[in-house]
Amino acid sequence: MSKATDDIIQILNPSDCFTLAMDEEIRQENMPGSQCGYALELASPPDPNAIQQRINEFGERFPLVFASLQQRGKRFFWCQRAQQHPLFHQHIASDKISKDDFHKQTALKLLNHRQDRETVPPIEFHLIQSASKNTFLMRWTHPFCDAKGADLILKYLCTEDAEQRLKFDLPRLEPLVNTQLAKYKWWQKIAMFIKAKRYISQMDTLQSVIHADTSKAPKQLNYHTYTLSPEQTQTINQNIRQQMGLTASSLYYVGCFMRALQRMNPEQEGDAYCAPYAFNLRRNKALSPLLSNHVAPLFAQAPKAILHDRPALFQHLNQQNTNTLRKQLDYAFLPVMWAASWLSLKQHGEKLRTSMRTGTERSSFWFSDIGQVDLSNTSFFNTDITRIYHLCQISSPPAIAFLSCQFNQQLTLSYNFIEPLFTEEWIAALHQNMLEELLLP
Amino acid sequence: MKQHIREFIFNELIFVAEPEKFSDNDDLLEAGLDSMGIMRLIMHIEEQFSVTLPDSEIDPDNVKSFNALEQWILQHKA
Repeated sequence: MSKATDDIIQILNPSDCFTLAMDEEIRQENMPGSQCGYALELASPPDPNAIQQRINEFGERFPLVFASLQQRGKRFFWCQRAQQHPLFHQHIASDKISKDDFHKQTALKLLNHRQDRETVPPIEFHLIQSASKNTFLMRWTHPFCDAKGADLILKYLCTEDAEQRLKFDLPRLEPLVNTQLAKYKWWQKIAMFIKAKRYISQMDTLQSVIHADTSKAPKQLNYHTYTLSPEQTQTINQNIRQQMGLTASSLYYVGCFMRALQRMNPEQEGDAYCAPYAFNLRRNKALSPLLSNHVAPLFAQAPKAILHDRPALFQHLNQQNTNTLRKQLDYAFLPVMWAASWLSLKQHGEKLRTSMRTGTERSSFWFSDIGQVDLSNTSFFNTDITRIYHLCQISSPPAIAFLSCQFNQQLTLSYNFIEPLFTEEWIAALHQNMLEELLLP
Repeated sequence: MKQHIREFIFNELIFVAEPEKFSDNDDLLEAGLDSMGIMRLIMHIEEQFSVTLPDSEIDPDNVKSFNALEQWILQHKA
């Protein structure tokens, strides 16, 4: 084995390359890259020693958590580092600081921390504590794992039974993007590639509406989270069932968010709202694969002209989703991701983000619905979990991401935005619109 | 037919530790069959069994178990 390759642990799969390209796009804007957060708010202080011990065990079981992401030739690899870095950190507030401010400021500091790609830890765990509030925050870089993988890591940490923990990531699976691609003959892959390109080309005939103030340079990520009551959540779940049926539930949030944005400025330039979202290739409830990305992209697009008509909008999004799946456009993106993994990060990012027709940004916003959070139990090291939310860095534009999840019969909405392209006041007003939209019968 | 659907669901859509213990009446939605999975399942059934399942009939009652799915398919099989 040559000197240049003997520290390589594993190569990035095409889906990892897809998220790495977005990491690079964000870094090119002088921002920290594709950092993500998964936060648990806890009813009482957990035992930090027990957490430390479980995280140490996790590190021994998955040594990739200590790896460094490096480029060798054209490709990127997870490589061994000379020294292991600490995985677990504690942040304790002094009495003088307001508790909410301390928790949010610490989370923002962690998500906005800039560090070279080669030295940034792929994943870290932080316990943020003040007199009456405790937050456990997992921060990870997107090429390391996707949101479902992050979910599985937390599930692993929450699993008390050591025997049960051994079941995670077994059997060891190949990257699911590669497994799916292997099912097709080469000429089928070419046909899929062409199909996906035609689909994108068709979508790019409409210029996307962008609300971010792009005259300003991105400075930092900020976020607002809102947890709705069980009654509000129940109403929204009923609306989802009535408006979207069984097969496109997440698109209810997309439709409502498009309308909420439109209400902020109906005259905003552009022909349509467009939101990329990922679909997961894992089987539901599967504990493997844990690390890496196993997703492919899809798009929800709606012309501005139909946004005033709620039923028509939901019907449009539903029909679009049905057509996408019936025409197998979802799997058609797999060969595109594979081919793009051979491009430079700059070229890859350009293809991902910009319209082939206008050269402008394709995404009006980023979207992810984690759905019902499925942890092994509703406690974390013997303390109750009171709230869960997600965070993510975003490229600018669109400079805004909407993330949702449900836990303990309560829906939490997480608005992530880049300042000064969006302001806190603008996001607060947007949330009011969104809440009205979600609750409308 | 049921066996074929079982294999597709357990191999492609949801993970169940002991599939042989999952009965034909057990709840597939509770076991993790989600919106995307339902669409994939319908497409697979339509292709495999040359049947058209109308979008308007995609309802929890028709997809909640293997028995319910079989009933639904048989209603539309010529």
